Formats: sequence, C-alpha cells, structure tokens
Amino acid sequence: MRLRIRHQTRFNYERPAYDSHNEVRLCPWDSADQRRINFELTTFPRAAILPYTDFFGNRCHSISVTDRHHVLTITAESTVEINAAHRPSAPNERPPGPEVPFSRFLSDDAARANQFCEFMSSSRYVPFSERLRKFFWNGVRPRGNDDVADYVMRVVAFVHDQFHYEPASTHVYSSVNDILKSGAGVCQDFAHLTIGLLRLAGVPARYVSGYLAPHEQTQLGEQASHAWLEAWLPGAGWTGYDPTHRCRTDERHVGMAIGRDYGDVPPIRGCYRSDGRKSMMRVSLDIERRDEADDTAVVGRCHSQQ
Amino acid sequence: MLRRIADHLFWAARYLERAQWRARLVDVNYNLLLEVPPRAADPWQPILAITGEIETFGAHYSQADERSAVTFFALEAKNPSSIRSCLETARFNLHSLRHQIPSELWLEVNRLYLESLSWPKDALALPSVPGFFATLRERFYLIGGVIQATMARDGAYDFVEAGTMVECADNVARLLDVKYHYLLPRPEDVGGAVDVRQWMALLRSASCLETFRQIYGNAFRPARVVELLLFNSAVPRSARFCVDRLAAAIRRISSRDGESAPELSPERPVDLLAKSSAAQAMASGLHEFLLNFQRECAALATRMTAAYMTID
Amino acid sequence: MQYRQAPAIAGLPMNEMFETAGNPRPECARVASYLLTMDSRRLLELGARAHLMFQEMGVTFNHYGDAEGTERIFPFDPVPRIIPASVWEPIEAGLIQRVRALNAFLADVYGEGVIFKEGLIPREMVVGSAQFRHAAVGIRPRDDRFVSIAGIDLVRGADGRFLVLEDNLRTPSGVSYVLQNRVVMRRLFPELLRALEVRSVEQYPADLLACLKELAPNPERDPVVAILTPGPYNSAFYEHVFLSQQMGVELVEGRDLICADHKLFMKTIYGLRRVDVLYRRVDDDYLDPVVFRPDSLLGVAGLTAAIRAGNVAVANAIGTGVADDKATFAYTPAMIRFYLNEEPLLPIVETYLLRDPDQREVVLKDLDRYVIKPTGASGGYGVIIGPKASDAELAQARARIMRDPAGYIAQPVVQLSVHPTLMAEGEGAPCLAPRHVDLRPFVLMGARPRVLAGGLTRVALREGSLIVNSSQGGGSKDTWVVEEGCSVA
Repeated sequence: MRLRIRHQTRFNYERPAYDSHNEVRLCPWDSADQRRINFELTTFPRAAILPYTDFFGNRCHSISVTDRHHVLTITAESTVEINAAHRPSAPNERPPGPEVPFSRFLSDDAARANQFCEFMSSSRYVPFSERLRKFFWNGVRPRGNDDVADYVMRVVAFVHDQFHYEPASTHVYSSVNDILKSGAGVCQDFAHLTIGLLRLAGVPARYVSGYLAPHEQTQLGEQASHAWLEAWLPGAGWTGYDPTHRCRTDERHVGMAIGRDYGDVPPIRGCYRSDGRKSMMRVSLDIERRDEADDTAVVGRCHSQQ
Repeated sequence: MLRRIADHLFWAARYLERAQWRARLVDVNYNLLLEVPPRAADPWQPILAITGEIETFGAHYSQADERSAVTFFALEAKNPSSIRSCLETARFNLHSLRHQIPSELWLEVNRLYLESLSWPKDALALPSVPGFFATLRERFYLIGGVIQATMARDGAYDFVEAGTMVECADNVARLLDVKYHYLLPRPEDVGGAVDVRQWMALLRSASCLETFRQIYGNAFRPARVVELLLFNSAVPRSARFCVDRLAAAIRRISSRDGESAPELSPERPVDLLAKSSAAQAMASGLHEFLLNFQRECAALATRMTAAYMTID
Repeated sequence: MQYRQAPAIAGLPMNEMFETAGNPRPECARVASYLLTMDSRRLLELGARAHLMFQEMGVTFNHYGDAEGTERIFPFDPVPRIIPASVWEPIEAGLIQRVRALNAFLADVYGEGVIFKEGLIPREMVVGSAQFRHAAVGIRPRDDRFVSIAGIDLVRGADGRFLVLEDNLRTPSGVSYVLQNRVVMRRLFPELLRALEVRSVEQYPADLLACLKELAPNPERDPVVAILTPGPYNSAFYEHVFLSQQMGVELVEGRDLICADHKLFMKTIYGLRRVDVLYRRVDDDYLDPVVFRPDSLLGVAGLTAAIRAGNVAVANAIGTGVADDKATFAYTPAMIRFYLNEEPLLPIVETYLLRDPDQREVVLKDLDRYVIKPTGASGGYGVIIGPKASDAELAQARARIMRDPAGYIAQPVVQLSVHPTLMAEGEGAPCLAPRHVDLRPFVLMGARPRVLAGGLTRVALREGSLIVNSSQGGGSKDTWVVEEGCSVA
C-alpha cells in the first residue's frame, strides 16, 4: 500500500519571532517493510535546512530562521510504500522466531544489556519509579517458562485493557507515573508504560513516533499522529507493538523516529526569541491512500490545536 | 567591539554622570535652603521637577521635606535614579568588563559602590549632609579623572564619552527648564536677593558659577545664564559642549567602521543650538526650545543604541 | 632559612627537593642552597610581594557559594618546584600518547564503536554515562581532534614515579596561573631563573591560538577565534579574560552570539562578524538550548547545527566528558594499547570500578583505605578520603555506593609527594616545611602536539592535607623544568 502524507505545523506568534531554531523529526524511515519513496520538507518563511542522522539513526533536519516572522509553517510531505508482506496478517500474530522461555532469555542478559543498554534502563519519561515497579510486580511479572514473544503481547494487551484511552488526559511531558496515577492517557502514555514494563522484565523496548493511516471506512478526524513501541525479540529482532490498539504494528503504521522515549523523538523541538509571550501551534495532517496510481482520495484528515 | 560591551560602557557612564548630577543638585539646594528661610511649602519640589521624579517620590513619601528629599535622591534603594542605585547600576555594568577597563577605574567605582553599601538608609543617620556630599563630589571627580587619565582613546572611551555627554546634556536642559519655568519669579522678585541666589545656585549646580562671573560679572540676567548653559561651547556641562562631544564621539565610532556607517545624524542636536541663540530661544519660548532639544538628544541616543548597542 | 622535616621513616611520601633533611637532590641543589642561605624574613617579604602582584594583576578566582564580588587570590608559594628535564621529557611523551588515545576513543565511541565490539570496555558504561552526548554522534572534528586542550592531573608516589590521577578533557582550567606565576617569579628570582635555564612557558597563548585556528572548517581565510565564557560569576572567569587578552581574541557570552543559516556570528558594534572557532569554557549542557538544557542562557541556540553543518568548530568538542569520566579512566591503559598499539608510557593510579561486584567487594572490605570518587563530578567535589573520614562518613559513603555502585570508583590513597613550602603562620620564625603537591600539565593537541613545560603545581597548604583543589584550600607553585647540567651547585 502506498501512502502520501502531508504534515503541516503552523506557529502563529503574538509578536514577531526571530532567531528561531528547530530540530525536526518528520521523515518516515526507509527499511525493508516501509519504503520511503520521497520526502520533502518546506518552510515558510524560507529557512536554512540542514539534514542529518541522529544517534538512533533517525533522519532529522535543523531549521533556522533568523529574520522576524509572524508565522512559521513547517511542511513535511512524504510518500511511503508499506510492504504488507513484512507486516502481520492478524493483530496479535506471533512474530517469527523460536519460542524462548524467559528463564533462558535472561541467562544471556549481560550481553544484551551491553548491546541495548539505552533501551533497557530507566529514561526521562520512563523512570523506574516505585509506582511502576509495584505495578509491574503486581500485574505482569513474567514467569520463567513464559515465551518472550507471548509475554510481550500479553503486556501490550494488559496495558490496553487496564487503561482508558482519553484524548487530552495528559500532555507531552507526562511520564509513566501520570498514566499510572490517572488510569488514562493517550498513545504516548500507552507506549511509555508498555516500554517501562518490558524493560523491567528485561526485554529491550524503544519508543516509536509515527503516523497511523486510517482505515478506508473510518471517519475523518480520527487520530492520525501516533506513537507505539518496538520490543526486541530473540530471532525476530525489533518488533512493533501498538498498545493503544492492542495489536502488532500493521500496514497502517508508518514509522518516523525511534528513541528511548518521547524525549528523543519529538516531531519538532526548538526555541525562538520574541517580544511577545504567546504563540499558537496548529497541526494539520493529511494521509492519502494511493492504492492505484490515479486514486488519490483523501481518507484521513486531522487537525489539532494547541 | 562587542555590542554588549559598548552597551555596558555607555550605561555605566550615564549612571555615573547621573549620580554626579544628583549629588550636585541636592547639595546645592541643601545649601541654598540653609540660608533661606523656607518660603514655599515644598522647597524640594523644583528638584523633583528637574529630575522628573515627582511621581516616584510621591509613591514613597508624603512630604518633600529635607530628610525625605535627601534620602530619596541619595540613599533610596527603591529609587532607580538615587545615587545609591546609580552606583549599583554603574558598577553592575562594569563588573563583567572589569579586566578589560583600566584597573584603577574598576577599583574606584567598586570602592565607591562598596562604601555605598554601608551608607545609612535614612538621611537622618548621615553624620553630616554637607560632608557626605563634599566627599561624594571628590570621589566623582576622582572617577572622572581616572577615566581621562587611564582610558586609551579608542572605541571603549568613545562609548563612555557618549554616555556621559548624553546624560549631561539632558540634565543641564532639565535644570534650566525648571529654573526658568518653575522657580520663575514673580515680577516683583526679579533682580531681588532671592532671585539672584537662585540663579547662583543653578550655576553652581552645573559647576559654572565662576565661569559666569568671569564672563559677565555679577549681573545675573536670564539670557546670560541661558547663553552660558546652553550655547557656550567652551563651558564643560553646557549643552553645546556636551552635544559637540557626543557628536564627535559618534563620528569617531562610525568612522572606524570600514563599511558604511549607519545613518545616525549625530549633528542634529548640535545644529539646533548652532542655529539659535539665547535671545531667539527665549523669544520663541525657552521651554519649547528645551523640550525640543531634549527630544533631539534622546532620539540620537536611541539611534545610537539601535545602531551599535542592542543585542537582539 | 630553616627547613623543618620529619626524620626519615620508611613509607613516608617522597620529598621532591631533599633526599633526607639537609641533603638536597642534585637537581635541586642550587635552589635549595639559595633558599637555605636566604634570610627567612626576606623570603617572607618576597611571598608578600608576590601576593601584592597577584592582587594588582587581578589574578583571582571566584569560589562557588561565595557572595558576589568576593574574588579571591589563589594562594601562591614562592618556593619553586623543580623537575629535571630528564624526568619531564618522558612525562611529555606519555601525556601526548594519552591524549592521542583518548581522541581515538572519542572518535570511536561517537562513531563505529569498535572498542565495544571488541569487548574491551562495556558499551553500557560509556553510552550510559551521564557525560555521553547523543548529539555528538555524527559530528566529526577535524582530524578527530575532539580534545584540543587537556589538563592531566599527575601525582608522584612514594617511589618517585609520576602517575596519572585523572584526565580533564572538558574545560580544564588553571593555565593562567601557570603563566602569571612565572611573571611573578621572574621578578622575585630573576638570577635563579636565568642560571637554571628554566624552560619558558610564554609561548602558550600563541600555541593555543594556533591550535584553535587549525580547527577552522574553512582555512582559506584567517579564522576568527572567540572564547565563550559563562560570565563574570564563573570560578575561572579571570582565566577566560586572561586568555582572550593574551591571544587577542574576543571574549564572548552566549548573548553576544547568534546562529544564522547554520553559521555562528558575534554581535559587534559594526554588525555581525563570523566566528570560525569557538574556544568554549561552557559545559556541554549549557551550550545550545535547542539540543541540551532548554533553559540555558549561557550558550547559543543553533550552535550544534552550525557545528554539524561544518561552519564552526568548538574546542573541546561536544561530548569529550565521556572520556574523562572517572570510570572510563580505569580503561585508559587498555585504550592506549588498543588504539595506538603502544605500551602506556605513564602509569595510572590503580582504579577500582565499584560497578563490578568483585572489585566492589575488595574495596568495601577496607573502605577506610581508599579514596572514593563520584564518577561524574570534578573539582574534588564529593570525594571521600577513607583514612581521614569519620565512621559516620564512611557509613554514608558505603550506603551511597550500595545504592548506585556505577556512580563511584575507588583508588588506593596515594602518598602524594611533598615539596618544601614557605610557612609563615603559627609559632616561631617562618620556615620551609613539606607539603603535598600534585601537577596539572596542559596538553595542546594541534597538528604538532605540545605540552606546556611543567604545568600547574598545586599544593595542599594545610599540614598533612592531600586535597590541593583551589576550591578546597589549595595553593599553587611555579613549576620549573630545568636542564640537568645547570642545577648542580
């Protein structure tokens, strides 16, 4: 399936902004199961744009606007082709690879901890807090004979079933403690919490920021900017899971950036100077399915405001 | 030179000059009142008018008596233009440059600032008001002398000079304006003992009483005082003297720039004075003339700040 | 002048000037006889003169936690420390070797990570270090010169060998004292300096400037260098000013800078002026609010992108702290062997990693025999000296280690060498008494690496004290590297 994605962020400033610098992670990745056919980043006013690859291998861009401006728009347009053959056919299909019981999995823990240390330890939004530990021990601790892949799916399902999805219940700076406290969150919180539990169990887990293409039959306005996680499984390697939808990532998931948690992958991060204090950000996202070359119906459009 | 450094030098100089003017004004008025039985209800009101601080003063004190006036002008930490505050601001501006300016200059300013920390909060606690101001006067002369004797005549000096001269021009214009309009004489007083004493005090505030006498003797006619304080280019602290030097400092700064200098028109305040005279200014209204002059000076300072000093 | 030295007992620290009381080492004979024949009041007077000169020169440091405006003079001891050229030269070679290996290590850990694949150092320890900078990945300084300026702390053990105690690869300070100490000593002991042919330190600012200019990404024009300081409240502010004056380059604060089109500029009265090389004395965390601490006002937004774009170089590069982490230190001999295929010329002080259960067990058994250091900190903060610590302090240290073993290392207490030092306080006439010293040489890793002859000798002024940090009551001495032939009386 081919998807055309147009992601536009528009900042309106109360008083002109200047000396503005942003780091953006808006470029879908290019891999065997997700081919990036093209990508274009444009801004208004025109900016100096510097592409680079970060520590995690994400394609990033540094954007710098020196002169005064009332409005800044950053538009990322990309076309990606999802290779359905590489994605699961059922939401909870077991990924390929041998069954490995936890007892055996943990016996070579030291080597893994060395290789994937950043995805196995406490991080900014996934602190190994008392609250998280307690939840882990009381709820989803693995047993020695659990198969690792089955266990990961169990944790994903558990998080999905125990917590409410509630738009605007948290904010981008929420950590696992917030969702544990309130019992509700958004995709980011579901991902963080699942990551925290898997890491405590000794399974490397990393955060993914991306898009979710709507089903053809879904209504306009369904949430489209999305977050999930990848767990590292013996044999299968990094495997995507979406706790918000209680499934493995499928042909609708378009991955953009990976990191330890949200802190490593915000789509746009930066600073500017201004005489005013207020600014307004508006994000609009269009995802078109292009199953055939001439079929360009827009099936998903989402606007969010902040 | 970095814009931040230019800015620090300019404002350090302005605040030092402002502190010095405050000290002279308060000192002169204090002495004047020693000899004159208080006639007006608020003999300090004119000084507050000169410095443009009637409102600030009113916010902190109910009555403009000697104690509160001296406290307000010299010691009040809440008054951003008190001598104490001016010294603090000047010292703050020089702090990060202290290894880049002559060490004597930093030491003198810092020493005076450190002393100001032990000044009392209330004029009542000053052992001697005249003694306090006499010492201050000497200290300011010392700092001025250190600047002249130790600073290389480069860009840094030019910004100090510009700051000093902008502040001085503004103060002398205010001084004259208030005397002329506020203190102004009921017709029966003109030429009387009180009137003469006030003109003398005014000249003394600008430290040019002696120069006046040398030129005009003892005949204190308003036109002569105006001529001396505004138009005489040879008298330090005359408006003309200040804006001549201000314009020269700016010209030196801009001529060092190999590329095109920003359009600053440093001559505008000079022209205003050069094309007029005491008689003309008074005939067409001295108050308006002075206001116009102050506006020109302030506008030039703003243009200079934008051209060389603002960081954003 | 009297020299007060305890009678020789086995196990005492090495005395660098006297082999036994009254019996100076050959290389120190001339200085020793000069000092011992001098009237004690005269030496005291010279000390006082030196103090005055430092005051006049404004050589000060700010002490963290002090009220504003209380700059202190770094206490100065007029008795020079003598290092013969034959001892110094191998140290020089060892230091250069060391920094070459550390630069190779930095290029590796921010690049391919070969050393991890070889299993020579745990990746977890390096990538998980608080000093590892993810943003440094993908930024490659010219010739992999991550560290251009290093200050390596050396101590001299009881057997007289120099050992590396720690590396300072972020923003090492102290070089201004070395240069100013020499200015003062030239006035105090002109004839002695000449007679001993003491190696000069004067060329350091010129060498530093040349070394910085070499980093410039666009060498076709004369590169503009600037020093970035956190401002007048920083403890080393004097040094920033001093170096900017000595090199004739602008001293800037973050607000003097702006990045535009991924280039760095400073705001001068005549407009924006391009900066090619920034000698930054601001920590990574404060350098760029876009990438590091967003609340920092000490850096300049967009700097990291400008570096990445290849339009400006900073020295030292971002992320060098991962190589001077005290846990990494234990692996430095292995690094030298791995990257350079050479044997380390300078030994290091034995270092126990408390993250390792076996090593931890050894240390915890005799905690009072070790120096415990937090891995991330510098400046002597948080250090516990076992033999001097109270039981309560030791218990506390033990608890902290158990809570965060990876956060600490332990080193055996090194009997730092002692050097005669002028003591004026206390009862009786002024005299010379032995005080513990260390040495911080400065390495400039230009195309031709150079080591400043000697370096900063810090001296613990309190009797018996082993802590030489300026922030903890240490002083300094001038260090003289002398040609052998001249020093014999």
